[in-house]
Amino acid sequence: MTRARTAPVLIPALLAAATLLALAGVAFGSTWIPIENVAMVLVGLGDATQSLIVLQLRLPRVVIAILAGGAVALAGYLLQRVTRNELASPSVLGVVDGAALGVVIFLAAFSNESNALILPIAFQPLAAAIGALAAIALVFVLAGQQAASAIRLLLFGIAVAAVAKALTTVLMLIGPIYRTNQAARWIAGAVNEISWSEIVIVAAALVPLVILTVAAARKLPPADLDEISARSVGLDLPVFRILIFILAALLTAAGVAFAGGIGFVGLMAPHLARLALGRGVYTGLIGSFVLGAMMLVGADLIVRVAFAPVEVPAGTVTAIIGAPYFLFLLMRKQRNDG
Amino acid sequence: MSTLSLARTDEGLSKAARYAILTGVLALAMAMSLMLGYRQYTPLDVWNAFTAFDGSETAVVIVNLRLPRAIIAPLTGASLGIAGVVIQTLARNRIASPDTLGLNAGASLTVVVASFVFGISSLAGLSSAAALGALLTSLIVFGIATSAGGLSPLRIVLVGVTIAGLGHAIVEVILTSNEAELEQLLFWLSGSFMDRPISLALNGLPFVLTGAAIAVALARALDALHADDSTAASLGVPIVLVRGASFVAISILTGTAVAMAGPVSFVGLVVPHAARKIVGLRHTHQIAAAALVGAIYTTLADVLARFVIYPTEAPVGALTAVGGGVVLLALLRRRAA
Repeated sequence: MTRARTAPVLIPALLAAATLLALAGVAFGSTWIPIENVAMVLVGLGDATQSLIVLQLRLPRVVIAILAGGAVALAGYLLQRVTRNELASPSVLGVVDGAALGVVIFLAAFSNESNALILPIAFQPLAAAIGALAAIALVFVLAGQQAASAIRLLLFGIAVAAVAKALTTVLMLIGPIYRTNQAARWIAGAVNEISWSEIVIVAAALVPLVILTVAAARKLPPADLDEISARSVGLDLPVFRILIFILAALLTAAGVAFAGGIGFVGLMAPHLARLALGRGVYTGLIGSFVLGAMMLVGADLIVRVAFAPVEVPAGTVTAIIGAPYFLFLLMRKQRNDG
Repeated sequence: MSTLSLARTDEGLSKAARYAILTGVLALAMAMSLMLGYRQYTPLDVWNAFTAFDGSETAVVIVNLRLPRAIIAPLTGASLGIAGVVIQTLARNRIASPDTLGLNAGASLTVVVASFVFGISSLAGLSSAAALGALLTSLIVFGIATSAGGLSPLRIVLVGVTIAGLGHAIVEVILTSNEAELEQLLFWLSGSFMDRPISLALNGLPFVLTGAAIAVALARALDALHADDSTAASLGVPIVLVRGASFVAISILTGTAVAMAGPVSFVGLVVPHAARKIVGLRHTHQIAAAALVGAIYTTLADVLARFVIYPTEAPVGALTAVGGGVVLLALLRRRAA
């Protein structure tokens, strides 16, 4: 409860930190642009070269990192809440690899011989959404009764993810694929070479999804109850759960459609949000989004500063930080392994 | 369950007949590996290429390109199959394997570090690096399991898979920051028998034989260990020694397989199940059958890999990953673990 009371202070602090990180994300790179110059460019007063770097190169990757990291973190929050499983996240449940497979099938099926796409790129998130939904549906259908066991559910997710990943690899080798050189994104998650038009598509997809998430949030606390008590407060739990799964899959798809498979953000951000802000639903959602965004912006900043001029996918950094954390969770307590 | 599968093997064909059939299928698979691919050759072409090498394109392709993979594929499959049997008994876990416990990924990581960071290129050096990586990973995974007060079989697999993910991420960082070609990277990360020199098989063979010999020597002890530690101890099995030797065998076998082909996924998961179905639970037989079944599995997968996206070749590891993922799902559904 004390944490919940500190939330009004912590959320603005978190937002301020996120803003600073985003500004740093724009300032750092192959050429350093002082923060005040970044601010000048953003209000339309910068010089031409710096404007070009900031507006066309740096800002897009920071913005997509915010959107993708935030969306995947929201999805992770929803999945953890509704499965009552703190180990759940879009990547271990196969949703990320399912979305990546959807994207690669789309690119393979709709590229022509000269590697150009014959459908508008706006369909790419749709393909990701279909893949994500198929993956999560498959995981839950196959797991059946065993979905009640946290660990078993995860293993089903991992197996589905392994199959999807292998199919993605095969498909990427077939070609011709539109922009194969960017294929690394769907393997490891990277936010470089994102264009504003792609960002607009992601943002347009995210707005209704975030509104739906906030609308659903009201019902999340009763969803912690068992089926009968939930029904007594007017909630059809099985249906509500399925709706939340769909919402989580769509959020993941919007996040990874262009940014690729970013590992472990969907696992860690909700945990950190809960640690910092307590168990309230709305603070949990806001905190997850902001922390998820910060994690991906930070990861992208690390790869840019540490590995320049090579573009190491940002997803590798989140995986290297996230995997040990997941191990820590696994070791901490075991129960309900059925 | 155990008496059931023992009973099943006692009816019908004798064990000798089963081994004969497996050997025959393996020979057939290797012949297919020589004949089928981007270009198709007749048995006569193959015969002529070996008996009367004339430098023609056909002969060159068969001897220089097809033959190495027709040998490396079964060798890799056999090592992973044996490693799978030993690790499943050691962990008393039917979904344990060099992949699900992260050993493949650990071996890949040390191979990549050895070649890109330390510039090692000799095959013996890379095989040793791979074996070392597999050994370290198995110690880490089992160490984590022990320090957490004994993890359930399912949780150990989650630990292994996570460590594997960590290994892959680091490999990816090393490969991309060395600007390896994406396709090369994809191919290596998924495992493949393509364009491997025959010397790889010749260098790998002694390692595989050593690993297999240790496994066979441990077979009786593993039979006892399979039940539980106290039974094994009462039968006079030196448990610590057997565990240690098993780790060494698993690491040599997995490491050599990775050094030869890259990580070929889930072979060690699938093969022991098939081997047990065919010859029952005795480890001498499990090991022998797993070697044959593993060899057949990877050889056929390698042939199939040439055709699924013909004329391009698919990495064989991607095919075995699909097969293994489906088997893993089936095992989970049947609550085999």
